[in-house]
Amino acid sequence: MIAVDDLVFRYPYATQPVLDGVTIAFEAGERVAILGANGSGKTTFARFLAGLLPDGALRAERGSVRMDGRPWPSWSIAERSAAVQFVGQVPAQQLSGCAFTVYDEIAFGPCNLALPEAEVRARVDEALTVCNLRHLVARDPFTLSGGEQQRLSIGAALAMKPRVLVLDEPTSNLDPESRDAFIAQLDALPAGLTVIVFEVALRPAMALASRFVLFERGRIAIDGSAHDVLTDPRCVTTLGTTAVARAAAGVRAAGGWPGQHPTPLTITEGSAAFAELRRAGG
Amino acid sequence: MLVVDDVAFGYDERTQVLDAISFTVAPGEIVAIVGRNGAGKSTLLRLLNGILQPRRGRIVVDGCTTSSTPVHVLARHIGTVFQAPEEQMFHANVRDEIAFGVKQLGITGQALAERVDETLERIGLPSAGAIHPLDLGAADRRFVALGSVLAMRPPILLLDEPQRGLDRGALDRLESIVAEQARSGGSALVVCHDMDFVARCATRVVAVAAGRVAGDRPTLDFFSDPALARGAGVEVPDTIALSYALDLPPALTPEAFVTSWMRATG
Repeated sequence: MIAVDDLVFRYPYATQPVLDGVTIAFEAGERVAILGANGSGKTTFARFLAGLLPDGALRAERGSVRMDGRPWPSWSIAERSAAVQFVGQVPAQQLSGCAFTVYDEIAFGPCNLALPEAEVRARVDEALTVCNLRHLVARDPFTLSGGEQQRLSIGAALAMKPRVLVLDEPTSNLDPESRDAFIAQLDALPAGLTVIVFEVALRPAMALASRFVLFERGRIAIDGSAHDVLTDPRCVTTLGTTAVARAAAGVRAAGGWPGQHPTPLTITEGSAAFAELRRAGG
Repeated sequence: MLVVDDVAFGYDERTQVLDAISFTVAPGEIVAIVGRNGAGKSTLLRLLNGILQPRRGRIVVDGCTTSSTPVHVLARHIGTVFQAPEEQMFHANVRDEIAFGVKQLGITGQALAERVDETLERIGLPSAGAIHPLDLGAADRRFVALGSVLAMRPPILLLDEPQRGLDRGALDRLESIVAEQARSGGSALVVCHDMDFVARCATRVVAVAAGRVAGDRPTLDFFSDPALARGAGVEVPDTIALSYALDLPPALTPEAFVTSWMRATG
C-alpha cells in the first residue's frame, strides 16, 4: 500500500545523507515499529512516509514514497490528510491553536474536510473514547498536561479516519493505563488501519507492533519479528534490550542458563522460560 | 534540602490540582515523581521552582521560602529542565546557550569559559561548542538544555521526563549525570513514566494521585507493594514483575534478579 523505493535524502549543507537508500513496503493493517538510535534518521523518514516531505527545497536526491502507486506530491492535501496522519514527538506543537476546547480541537480536521455535522460529531465521539479524553472534553487544549496533549494529538489524527497512522514516539509520556487503553482501542478499530510507530523505547514498541524494523544510519538494517530485531547485537548495542532479556543474559553469563534456550523478551516469556529452567534443574 | 509542607494548588478557583502534598528531599537523594497523566506532576515542579505559588502550605528550597523569594534568586538553588527542552533554545551556538544561565549568576570572563568547558565535557559534547543547537540531533539538543541548567550548579535539579526518546548511549549519559548530581551532594527530582529508568536511577519514589502523596518510600519498598504502584497508576519494573511470577524476592534491576535467581537455584 505504501512503497518506499531507494529513498536518498540529505539536508542542505549536510555532508552525509540522512536517508541513504531506503527500500521498504507496508501492507494494509500492518503494525510496524521502526526502531533506531537517536540521529539515525527516523523522524525524517517518518515525515517522508506521511507525505510531509518533500517540501519546498527539501527534496529526495533519489527515490520516492508512493501510496497506492502514486507518489505523495501528486496527492492533494485533502486527499492525503484522509489517507495518512502523522503525530509528532512534541504534543503542544500538534495543536491547531484555533480551538478553545478538546472537542473543537478534534473536530477541526474533520470540519476542514467539509464533512456533514453528524459525521463530524460521530468521529469526535469515537476519538474521545479511543484516547480516553471524555472527561477533558471542555478543557482548553493548552491547559492539558503533556500526556493528555499527546492523547489529544492522537485523537485528532484518528478523527481524520486515515488508512495509515504514522506515530513518532506515540506513547512515551502516556501513563500505563492510558497506553494500554489506547492500544486496546486501536485493536478494536477496523482491521485495515496501518500503524507505523517510530520508537527508541522497546517496551511501548512491543506492546503495539508485530513487525519490527531496525534503522541504522539512514538504512534498514533488519526487518523481521520482535525476536529477529530485539535480540540482534546491532539493536542491543544501540537501544539496549528489555530488562527480562538482560536478566536472562546475566543468568547465562553466570552459568545458570544451559544450552541454546532462546532469550526471553517479555515478562510472559521470561516467567515461562525461568519456570521451565527451574523444573529442569530440580 | 527541599521541604514541601501541606501544599495545595489549583489553576483556578473551581479546581484543585494538588490537595495536600508534603515530602522532603535531602542532599544525595534522587527522587522519582510518578503518577498518572494530569496528576499534577509537572505542576508540582513549577511550584518547587517558584513559577507557581501554592494556594496553601509552604515550600522551602535550600532555606528559601518560595513565596517570598524571587524566581531568579531561587534559580541559584533549584534548576529546572522542562519537558521537550530541546524546543526551547534561543542562542546561535551551544557555548552561548550554556553560558546564558551562568552569566545571570554574575560569572564572567575566564571563570565563565571554564564553567562552560566543564559543562560541555559533562554532557558528553566537548567539541560541540561552536555548533548551532538546531543543527544537533534531538537527543544532543536535550543534553545542551540540561547543560545550560547544570552549568549553574544548582544543588537541586528538577527534570521533567528527561529519559523520553533517548537511546541506550544517551540514557547512560543521562544516568551518569544524575548519579553525579547526587554523589556531589546535590539532589534531583525526576518526573518519569519509564519505571525501568526509575528502578535504575531513583533512591526514592513519591507517587502523586488525586492531589495527594499516595506513596513515599525507598524505590525497592515502593515497588515491593503492588497495590501501592497500582493505586498510583504506575507499572512495576519488569524484573519486579518477573520476580513475583517466579516467587522470588522482588528484584529492582536485572543485576539484582540474577543474584537472587542464582541464590535460589544454588
